[in-house]
Amino acid sequence: MSDLIQNSIDAFQNSHPIIQFCAYVSFLFMAIIMGLMIYLKSLRSRLRIKGRIEATYKKKYEADLIEYLYADDDPENNEQQQKIIAYLAKSSHNRLKRKLIINTFLKLKNEISGETADAIQNLYYKTGLINSATSTLKSKKWDAVARSVRELTQFEIKEAHDEIIPLINHPKKEVRNEIQKYLVKLFRFDGLEFLDVLESNLSEWDQIQLLEILNKFNNLEIPDMSKWLLSKNDSVVLFTLKLARIYNQYEAQEAIKSLLNHTNTEIRIEAINIVNHLGIFEAVEIIKTDLFSRCLEEQIAFFKMMEEMAMPDDIPFIKEHIQHENFYIRVSVMKIMNLITVDTDNTFKVNTITPDFSIDKDLTIAS
Amino acid sequence: MNLSKKIVLAEDNSILSKLLQFKLEKEGYQLLIATNGKEAVNLIEDNRPDMILTDIMMPFISGLEVISHVRNKLEMKTPIVVFSSAGQEEMVLNAFNLGANDFMSKPFSPNELVIRIKRLLQ
Repeated sequence: MSDLIQNSIDAFQNSHPIIQFCAYVSFLFMAIIMGLMIYLKSLRSRLRIKGRIEATYKKKYEADLIEYLYADDDPENNEQQQKIIAYLAKSSHNRLKRKLIINTFLKLKNEISGETADAIQNLYYKTGLINSATSTLKSKKWDAVARSVRELTQFEIKEAHDEIIPLINHPKKEVRNEIQKYLVKLFRFDGLEFLDVLESNLSEWDQIQLLEILNKFNNLEIPDMSKWLLSKNDSVVLFTLKLARIYNQYEAQEAIKSLLNHTNTEIRIEAINIVNHLGIFEAVEIIKTDLFSRCLEEQIAFFKMMEEMAMPDDIPFIKEHIQHENFYIRVSVMKIMNLITVDTDNTFKVNTITPDFSIDKDLTIAS
Repeated sequence: MNLSKKIVLAEDNSILSKLLQFKLEKEGYQLLIATNGKEAVNLIEDNRPDMILTDIMMPFISGLEVISHVRNKLEMKTPIVVFSSAGQEEMVLNAFNLGANDFMSKPFSPNELVIRIKRLLQ
């Protein structure tokens, strides 16, 4: 046996250097794989233990929560409730346990309403979980701050407003997004006050999320949006234009008209679209005066707008552009001309019959 | 009187199940809990309950399949209340088409659920 090993070693030493190199690399990879397997095994076992611990505590907290909610007003049960509050408050000092308690509360709070949901909210206060959430707002870790704001939103803690609002211009967009959602979810249109002070860009995704939240509420008193339309932050102006369109803000007409000469092209185009939506006829003359000093996109938006807002007086102006080099403008002009016909005696009629473009079936290629 | 009334609750949210169990048992009903649609079907077949409460979205077999099984295969006329979440309006309509009697949109009030159960079991 020893001869065999000795011969193998000799053969390996006398072999070609490439073979030796490959053998060393193979040994190295085998060692790495073995190491990784051991690490993976220990990681899995740690995760399993953690999962078991989590499941045990989850069960315990669920039972405690149910017991707390169904303890009646009699003194004996009240004592039990106090014990549960003290136990949960003590447990919440541990990060993992706190996370599990919060998850348990939310798991039930999201599914029910009425007295029971209010009782869960009360428990959130009584266990002091609110204090740890508000104190985390001062943390230097942005993810901890974002998580706290989200938690305060989920538990509808309006009292944290004054502590949250100074963070509205936080350098991390995730934190800003959570704060915006907190304000709008809890304070609805009043929460949009952050638009007064927002310095950073309100992304398209942020805007969609805010509009979706507002869409869930009915019969809201809508504030005057003019001040946001005049904001120095272009994203705020664009977002407000969307709001003005959705909530038909006729009161903001003057501010919208002033946006027709905004420095940002996107805002000017959006303003033209809103003019059409709200039917601000005075704005038509404003755009007509300097239409050809405006960019092509604005001109297209203007003619598109005129498809719905053109008056007989506008016909000569529109007719001038029937040979415009841009296809979309030509199409819009033709649509307008098709809708309004001015007769020789200077009277006009609105054509309500849609032209028939269907192919006559009797016609053949030969005919 | 209510002691004899058996209710099958099919709900995958364990804590909501526990809460409803406490609430309904306090009202005198016997509650049988299933954590998924498959368990619910087995409980219904074995116990022939007086009422079925089912969530729409559940693992293995959905609430809609449970309703279909009860109405078409078992041919039971047991009242069925469906729990739905926001954005499941289409599914609620399907549930009614399959034979559900009532629905409650989450988040719902447990007290309101008790009232509806009492009304349906009258």
